Amino acid sequence: MDVGTLTQQLVNALTLGAIYALIALGYTMVYGIIELINFAHGDVFMVGSFVSLWLLADFFGLRGPINNPAELVGVLVVAFVFSMVVMGLVGVVIERFAYRPLRNAPRLAPLITAIGVSFILQNIIQIWRGPAQLNSPQLINVQAGFRVGSAEVHWISVFVIAIAVGLIIGLHLFISRTRMGRAMRSTALDREAAQLMGVDINTTIAVTFFIGSALAGAAGVVQGLYYGYTFFTIGFQGGLKAFTAAVLGGIGNTTGAALGGFTIGFIEVFASQAGYANWSEAIVFSILILVLVFRPTGLLGQPTAERG
Amino acid sequence: MKPRPLAFVAVVALVASACGSSSSTTGPQVVKIGVELPLSGGEAPNGGPTLNGIQLAINQIQVPGYTVQLNTQDDAVNGVNNPDQGAKNIGTLVSDSQVFAVVGPFNSAVAKAEIPVSNEAGLIQCSPANTNSTLTLGDPAKALRQAHPDQIAYVRVVANDDFQGLADAIIAYKDLGKKSMYIVDDQTTYGKYLADVVQAQFTKMGGKVVKRDGAGANVSDYTSLLTAAKALSPDVVFYGGVTSTGGGVLRKQMVANGMGDLPFVGGDGISDGAASVASSFLNIAGDQGDLNTWMTTAGAHDIPDRATLAAAYQAAFGKELGAYSAAAYACTQVYLEALKAVGPDRAKVRAYVTDTTHTFNTVLGPISFDANGDINQEIISYFQFDPSTKDWKFVRQNDPTKA
Repeated sequence: MDVGTLTQQLVNALTLGAIYALIALGYTMVYGIIELINFAHGDVFMVGSFVSLWLLADFFGLRGPINNPAELVGVLVVAFVFSMVVMGLVGVVIERFAYRPLRNAPRLAPLITAIGVSFILQNIIQIWRGPAQLNSPQLINVQAGFRVGSAEVHWISVFVIAIAVGLIIGLHLFISRTRMGRAMRSTALDREAAQLMGVDINTTIAVTFFIGSALAGAAGVVQGLYYGYTFFTIGFQGGLKAFTAAVLGGIGNTTGAALGGFTIGFIEVFASQAGYANWSEAIVFSILILVLVFRPTGLLGQPTAERG
Repeated sequence: MKPRPLAFVAVVALVASACGSSSSTTGPQVVKIGVELPLSGGEAPNGGPTLNGIQLAINQIQVPGYTVQLNTQDDAVNGVNNPDQGAKNIGTLVSDSQVFAVVGPFNSAVAKAEIPVSNEAGLIQCSPANTNSTLTLGDPAKALRQAHPDQIAYVRVVANDDFQGLADAIIAYKDLGKKSMYIVDDQTTYGKYLADVVQAQFTKMGGKVVKRDGAGANVSDYTSLLTAAKALSPDVVFYGGVTSTGGGVLRKQMVANGMGDLPFVGGDGISDGAASVASSFLNIAGDQGDLNTWMTTAGAHDIPDRATLAAAYQAAFGKELGAYSAAAYACTQVYLEALKAVGPDRAKVRAYVTDTTHTFNTVLGPISFDANGDINQEIISYFQFDPSTKDWKFVRQNDPTKA
């Protein structure tokens, strides 16, 4: 492999990893606070891609790249805000009706409702837009870029990575610096004690779902911009990888989820480069198993004992 | 006096049943042709025009004494053709006693799951689109018909992939003059075999296959594969597979990764209509991806009287003929001719259709089936994308072994 190809694949890996990381954050935040594997989260990402498709293609009537920079930035801001707010609200609604009534039920119950919600979301989209691949407008010209040595780096990749890193840093600051962030951390640590100290548990959990789902909504917009299409089952594939990323990084740990996302991006890309595209999932999961055997809490996870 | 509702219903029912029985003794007998195609979602551009071909045939051709209806089954699950669903569907059709013959399926992997079922039941299937060679030829084909190895219950009106793959290699090596090929297949029965044939033929002609990747429907990001392939500088790309498993997405990502100028050749799996058809290959690949694309279909495009058929199709459905509409029409004609000759008995219809001495007059011209169930005319049609119409343009047709 020459240097150009290597550089190119590094960029590919970072871009793919950025998308996984964005979705993985939602898994890890929800698990961190209520210890629920929210299996519907991948489908929230998928619905996000359709919401953004609707806004851009049907509402704005856009078909291809926008060349005027001011207009491009404006449309992108609207697309991200709209998709993130809509999906954030969807997340809150899901939590309110599918998980909150079961908060004190045995752990298996909300897991089952999560799988149910996943199917409901898929079916809604299937009925709304049909089970077919649909084109999403690629607002940023996917061929435009600059050269680094012999490698071609596209602006869209830079944009995807920047968006993901920006949102991850923003989330980190939110959790570590704000009052609500502190409420989230204390709820994760000990729900009852937090409640006794005056933390509104329901609001805190709802906000957690809002943020996690909004990040998935952002990933949905990225899916459309980067790949230029969407399909109603992408949530399953993307969700599974992102869930793996969250576990790999140490579920409950947001930095770990981001790290896990990029790790899986690298594994997949270099498995493809080596000619094992069909093995990439097997390789990803083998590494996951190895990590869990030797570091059961994931790369950055902390032992649960510290929690209680 | 108010009529008592129950008694009233009973009288109506009695009259109705009396009418029913009297009409069935004098009126035409209802018989059904089973239809087993992928009809929903991303497969709609495949199954839809094919079903229309069948519908047009039964509307236009009357068989005295019979009313022919359809029992239509969809094998697409979540928008992608599904062999398990196909096997279930063929079971449904077997258990409908009015079904005397089946048109379908569309995809070779589905046929592989269905042939054992229809073979055991002795219910004839005629595929308007299956091209995989192993469905009819050699030991793999025999293994599919375990119940009655000597009584084939599956015929097709299209050429097989040994011919189609050769034609695709001819496009790449001879028509385009390319020497180094990158091949991607979609890991299906159809896609993999077709890619194998293209690889073998292209190499035999003197070309070199620089890289071959298998990427199934679960692969949605081809970027890393394409980056690896790009370093090997191929000058032509062949895709063995269908649109719903990623053909259009692959081409779209080739454009994004600076490989849009490379000629792209595919089989009939990407022949699913103009760029204006939602979810078709040309639609998903996009304006730039469509340029420099070629494909083949495994049947004659120039049939004896295409204009008449196309006009009737246009009048009935308001659309252009699909890639396999005429083939589906021909399958239906074969069945209606058999119905006329031997009646709706499954065993007799199967024997009649598979009799190698019978010649059927169809829209494809006079056709017959050989002992394997393959059609006697092995013709491949060649198409190229036409930017002015944003649709495939017919280039020529021939038997590639004689070209």
